[in-house]
Amino acid sequence: MATTPTARLASKDFAPAPLPVNYTQSRWIGGQIVSWLAFFGFLFVFSAVVLGVVRLCASFDENKLKAGGLGESIGNILLLVLVFVMITATLLTMADRKWSALMQDRVGPNRARLPIPGLSNRPLAGLPHIVADVLKMLFKEDFISAGAAKEKLLFNLGPLLSFGPAFMLFAIVPVGPEVKVFGKVIALQVAHLDWGILYVFGLAGIGVFGTALAGWASDNKFALLGGLRASAQLVSYEVTLGLTLVGTFIAFGTLRLDEMTVLQGATEQAWRAGGGDPTLLFGWLPAWGIFLQPLGCVLFIVAAMAEIKRPPFDTPEGESEIIGYFVEYSGLKSGLFLIAEYVETVVVCGIITAMFFGGWHLPWIEPALGRALLDLSREHGLALLAVFQVFAFVVKTLALIWVFFIIRWAFPRFRYDQVMRLGWKMMLPVSLANVVVSAGVFLWGGRPAMAVLGLVELLALGFFVFFTDKSPVAHAAVGHGHDDAHAAPAASH
Amino acid sequence: MDPHDHGHAAPDAKPDLSLGERFYLREAFKGMAVLSAHFWKNLLGFRAADVEVMDRKGPGVNMVNTINYPEEHPKYPPGYRGMHRLVPRVDGRPRCVACYLCATACPAQCIYIEAGEYEGEAIEKYPIRFEIDELRCIVCGFCVEACPKDAIRMDTGSHAPAVLSRPLAVFDKSALLKGPAVEHASDPITYRAELKTMAALPPEQGGRKPGGRGH
Repeated sequence: MATTPTARLASKDFAPAPLPVNYTQSRWIGGQIVSWLAFFGFLFVFSAVVLGVVRLCASFDENKLKAGGLGESIGNILLLVLVFVMITATLLTMADRKWSALMQDRVGPNRARLPIPGLSNRPLAGLPHIVADVLKMLFKEDFISAGAAKEKLLFNLGPLLSFGPAFMLFAIVPVGPEVKVFGKVIALQVAHLDWGILYVFGLAGIGVFGTALAGWASDNKFALLGGLRASAQLVSYEVTLGLTLVGTFIAFGTLRLDEMTVLQGATEQAWRAGGGDPTLLFGWLPAWGIFLQPLGCVLFIVAAMAEIKRPPFDTPEGESEIIGYFVEYSGLKSGLFLIAEYVETVVVCGIITAMFFGGWHLPWIEPALGRALLDLSREHGLALLAVFQVFAFVVKTLALIWVFFIIRWAFPRFRYDQVMRLGWKMMLPVSLANVVVSAGVFLWGGRPAMAVLGLVELLALGFFVFFTDKSPVAHAAVGHGHDDAHAAPAASH
Repeated sequence: MDPHDHGHAAPDAKPDLSLGERFYLREAFKGMAVLSAHFWKNLLGFRAADVEVMDRKGPGVNMVNTINYPEEHPKYPPGYRGMHRLVPRVDGRPRCVACYLCATACPAQCIYIEAGEYEGEAIEKYPIRFEIDELRCIVCGFCVEACPKDAIRMDTGSHAPAVLSRPLAVFDKSALLKGPAVEHASDPITYRAELKTMAALPPEQGGRKPGGRGH
């Protein structure tokens, strides 16, 4: 009957179409297990590939016993900065939309299709949208308005100064330990700088120029507003960003991220000598930065979110009101601004992982795993362990990124005065107090005392989070705690 | 606490918040917990196979209520006035007798009929061509009401499909002739399957001579 094209159309549309795939419970569970195993398996293989390729590049270096040669650095730049950070950031552009959709009970983008036989009718979790978006960015006209054309150099410098420093920040993040792979010591870190984290502050300062220049050179009042907001916000939160870390410097006694990471878990010598993990606090808690400096960690995460202009600190962008400092940009330059935000997210999560979440250390199981792998292979055991450690770093970073995206939807955007009030009247005094208290405790009892302080802070945090009264407090109490209520942005809605 | 409590307060009035609420982090963590619960339930859950999405419940079923339209669509309610069909007789030919009443009644003039004739049958006329331009149709249902033979109905339970070129939206006889066959007591007996079966039976079991009724 259905012979003509119209007839085929008509017969197709006669009844509601069934779902493409009929899921059953068992098939669903099987699919879940397979896909999660595939995901973590891919990350593990990726870790091994990174180590292997960097080792390959490092074979051009002379000194076999020392990490940090030229070839190794080039390999690190290729694998860590261009592959790990760039690809993660690209995927995050889609993850942002897909994860947001999941949090809001939506499906998310799933319409783009790859014109490849066999794949042409599959949404592929929205990944074809990345290709579509990138192609659109690349081929769109690079329009420069008449006003912006007057300051063409500064106008073009804006996106570059936003994008470049974001990448350069990752140079000091230690993704893996210093380890001997096939007879050559390598470390998955581009630059070994003694001034470590100060490099981050310096480059973050350059990032301010990008937004300020973009806002000013656009010759657009909204862009200027966005640029001003961005520079004010970035300058304000840099103070807190620096001060929150002083406690961490005190705890670890170094500015280098790689040394900080080493100090957050068992050293190789320690567990090779037969003992367990001597760095465990109270014998059970990993010596991670978050347990030594919980307050510093929370403040740093908040300040870092403000620094990379992630929501809820995205007043400089504020799509619904001023659009932001990049309103006059189009095509690839606009794309650079957009991708820079995701690059910064990856980099900041890497830095937080390295400083507060043990970096590449595997908690608790590292000595046992290391000994087992050494039994397996005397020569390559440590390199194998390093694969697990790189894997741990990647997983921790991805988990943190996920938390950043949860935070994005959990908070309404702060008003501009709330951002300033939170920064100067709340976070700055608290971080200053944190420095003073941490320094005093460290002078009094060293790192063990700091661990106790951290535990007390965590308990206090837990108390406030879980045990504070749900019913409204008496009127007198509201008047009593006035200054706090002013500073907390929740108090003014 | 009820957020509407503060509706009449002066703009400067401090909201009446508890200590925990003023500490902000607790409420923040609560919000993040809600989002995470939704995230994981929707990520790990599967879509139930039934299309009645609002009723999807049970273990492992996620909370996404979206209907991916071109691939899935919900059942329309019974009695939904949807796309036309030409009602077939039991023998598969259209009930339509090409009387042009529907084409006359159509305010959008979207029905085109060309009549033909059967030789030596009780019903003499039939449509050689019966076409409906679904782009012009305004789905008023006048054609259904005008039809004296119950030959056109709008009970397909679907709407006209989206097409990429206009000629595809002109549905011809072969496309329109579908769905369950219909027969009425007023139909000529030679067209009625039920009566033809009964005619084959002996009279004491209810059999009758054919041609006794009908018009």
